[in-house]
Amino acid sequence: MSSPASQSRDLRGPGPKAREKRLSELNAGATPDGQVTHLETVAFGPSLAVERFRFGNGLELLFCEDHSAPVIAYHTWFRVGSRHEREGKTGLAHLFEHLMFNEVEGRKAGEFDRKLEEAGAESNASTWLDFTQYNVSIPKDQLPLVVKLESERMSRLVLRDPQVKSEKEVVANERRLRVDDDLEGAASELLWATAFENHAYRWPTIGWMKDIEGFTTEDCQEFYRTYYAPNNAVLVIVGDVAEAALLKKLSAAYGALPASTLPIEDVQPEPPQLAERRVEVSKPTATEKLVVGYHSPAMGDFDHPALSLLAEVLFSGRASRLHQKLVRELELATEVRAFVGPFRDPGLFELFISAREGQTAEKLLAVIDAEFEKVRTEAISPEEIARAAARLELGLLAGLETVDGKASTLGFYEIVLGRPGAAFERLDTTRRVTASDLIRVARRYLLPRYRSVIFVRPDSSTSTDDGAEAAQ
Amino acid sequence: MSAAATVVRLDDAGGAAVLLETSRALPLVTISIGLKTGSLVDPAGKEGSTRLLARLMRRTAGGLDPQVIDTRIDSLGASLSADVAHSTMAFQATVISRSLNEFVDLLVDVLSRPSLAATELERLQRETLAELKDSLDDDSSLARRFFRRRFFGSHPYGRTVSGTSKTVPEISSADVQAVFQRAFVRGNLVFAFSGDLDATRASQIAKRISEALPSGSVGADATPEPSAIPGRRLVIVDKPERTQTKILIGCLGSHTQDEDHVALLVANTIFGGTFTARMTQEVRSKRGWSYGAYSSMPIDRRRQSFSMSTSPKADDAGPCLKLELDMLHDLREKGVTKAELSWAKRYMVRSHCFAIDTAAKRVGLELDQTLYDLPTDYYSRYTEHVQGVTLEQANLALRKRLSEEDLLITVVGTESLIGNSVREAVSNLASTEVVAFDSDD
Repeated sequence: MSSPASQSRDLRGPGPKAREKRLSELNAGATPDGQVTHLETVAFGPSLAVERFRFGNGLELLFCEDHSAPVIAYHTWFRVGSRHEREGKTGLAHLFEHLMFNEVEGRKAGEFDRKLEEAGAESNASTWLDFTQYNVSIPKDQLPLVVKLESERMSRLVLRDPQVKSEKEVVANERRLRVDDDLEGAASELLWATAFENHAYRWPTIGWMKDIEGFTTEDCQEFYRTYYAPNNAVLVIVGDVAEAALLKKLSAAYGALPASTLPIEDVQPEPPQLAERRVEVSKPTATEKLVVGYHSPAMGDFDHPALSLLAEVLFSGRASRLHQKLVRELELATEVRAFVGPFRDPGLFELFISAREGQTAEKLLAVIDAEFEKVRTEAISPEEIARAAARLELGLLAGLETVDGKASTLGFYEIVLGRPGAAFERLDTTRRVTASDLIRVARRYLLPRYRSVIFVRPDSSTSTDDGAEAAQ
Repeated sequence: MSAAATVVRLDDAGGAAVLLETSRALPLVTISIGLKTGSLVDPAGKEGSTRLLARLMRRTAGGLDPQVIDTRIDSLGASLSADVAHSTMAFQATVISRSLNEFVDLLVDVLSRPSLAATELERLQRETLAELKDSLDDDSSLARRFFRRRFFGSHPYGRTVSGTSKTVPEISSADVQAVFQRAFVRGNLVFAFSGDLDATRASQIAKRISEALPSGSVGADATPEPSAIPGRRLVIVDKPERTQTKILIGCLGSHTQDEDHVALLVANTIFGGTFTARMTQEVRSKRGWSYGAYSSMPIDRRRQSFSMSTSPKADDAGPCLKLELDMLHDLREKGVTKAELSWAKRYMVRSHCFAIDTAAKRVGLELDQTLYDLPTDYYSRYTEHVQGVTLEQANLALRKRLSEEDLLITVVGTESLIGNSVREAVSNLASTEVVAFDSDD
């Protein structure tokens, strides 16, 4: 049975001539900054297409018409993340993300969220190493409101001392929640600070506590002026709206915003790591943890898909090699996880392993070393490669069920790789990865001298009472 | 659009309850198989039996080796998990549609022919004990665990789904076999399909699984209604080196059959249900005391709790707790305003589209309605029910259902840092308990 709610149309736009005519009419009445140019049509999987537009002020739009539900995902991605910060001012991009929900000229503090919620919207935001993104999902009839609110806060944000002071407290509490009182968060932060000495990836996105406490309203105002401009942003809109109607609204709302001169990023490449780095830390936990980071390629690197596939073979799912070895066969660990950083610059292949009681992190590391030696010397079977590739395919498809999932995927690949449809390109690349590719990346990246290791030991204040009970 | 408008109930699947919504948007099929049996059937002293069973079924399907099963699931482009709650359990699967037939072969074995091998059970018990130990690292989980146990006390809802370090080793092969034989009978399964399959295929799958199980049904849920434990009780869960606290404050909440259930839902939305609700405004926006500040009222077949949740730093724990108690008092005494009510109703009605924006979500709501014995129009007329709530109903529900007297306050933190300030923040305390975070009590 097919239902009206489940039709996702293959829309390749209105056709070149019709679009040209519409854009010509639209641009005739628009400001120079609001004039729209259609740049390209990009395939997004087998059945959807994404249209790329650019406004006169440099604002880019990725639009995917999708009528699968009467809703719209409206994402604004800024090309600024924690990598654009400097020592002493870490965490500014993330603090600023919080401040973007506060006050806009002509509106009361908090009105942005109140209006959106009243419209039935779901909204959130996130900051990471390479970007800051704001996402709003709305019932389709509420599009005019979100266009107005989002275009307003791109240029007319009000930054005052009371809001900055209060938001600094909120962020400090978020840091306590996610890092200071969170074992894995604290260990991961230490790992990146150990593995990187030059590149801005060495500090945490949330920032060091002393930096969060030290921010001034002037810091925030300068950050806003520098990075929050239409020519540093990409709108990603997916959902139940016609292209012509959308462009008209966006041109009117964003056409009044001037472009700014963006600074040249002061990138500090990370020099090659030549020797293993080890750090020990004590935490109130009952069991040892092992956190390891191998320097890994940038997401756009030829080797990234192969290394990601190798990570799946080794660590993902209960059938993975290290789960089988550490959790099932030897019963040394409770959990194994790994993650190849999906970043613009080289990042880390990060491992997290939780030891069982009485087992040591050194023992875990010895098993990992032995397994890594195997993948450096022996071919991985086609069946294992196929298993890993199928997991990646399922993960991609499952993330595309909602318009928000589609917009997140498009925006992420646009910001990091400059190609919004790259998720499917990577899937194709992954399917072509061979056993030789996996041996190559294992030999190139999975060497002890390229890694940093954090040993988390239970501190003496932690009881070893046997009274555990899982929370529900 | 409502869930009921697009989800169909199939009646040619050999008597099994089958829900379906076809969607060709993606080459994926989602299958949920729910049972109206959960951890409440665990024998006393053997809490965790049902959860162990569900995990063991996935590992021993058709007598295969667990690694073979896991490899096959992954290689098919599928996922399969077993979730156990107090009143229900569900096997949740997603599979790339090209692999549906092969995956169903495996699913039939999981549900009808698990070997439940004793050696695998023993391995799983060791694994579970290690996971229980790891769960002590998570302060939010600790807060929820101690809150639930103290809140429901000796009522079955106070028992743990996962079991404890004392109960898990006590569970035998015979115990899990007994739960399997009792729960996995034809009349106890509800099938929910969505995605890239049609009614004929959904019926065939449901029929095949049903016919592989013995006939029979499970009786009605005999769990009694929980009652409030009198007095204001404070439980401090002492954990070293905490810069922050987790505070949960709760009283008895709502039952879905209450005539004022939706009225209380609307009032909760105003109080702590959204980012601009009173709690976030007062705790986070005005004072910066907590990253999150929410209230919630979960549902089950019997009445659950109404609870408030915050995470202030240790220095702010006392003032934050006092503020929350004052806000609860104000809520009951003064109620919500007409403007707040109008706003909340608009939010709830308009945002409902995100609860039903995919076929899987729509089918999922219908499944929940069946598993939890919700009123038949609970979701299908949700927006109408919300629209119909009056100011008088909302405020009456707050006064009638929420209590300031019979209140449990659970605080996870370092007692030496927060103990005095949180005690002083609560007036008329009937009891105070300090418990070690790794205690089994």
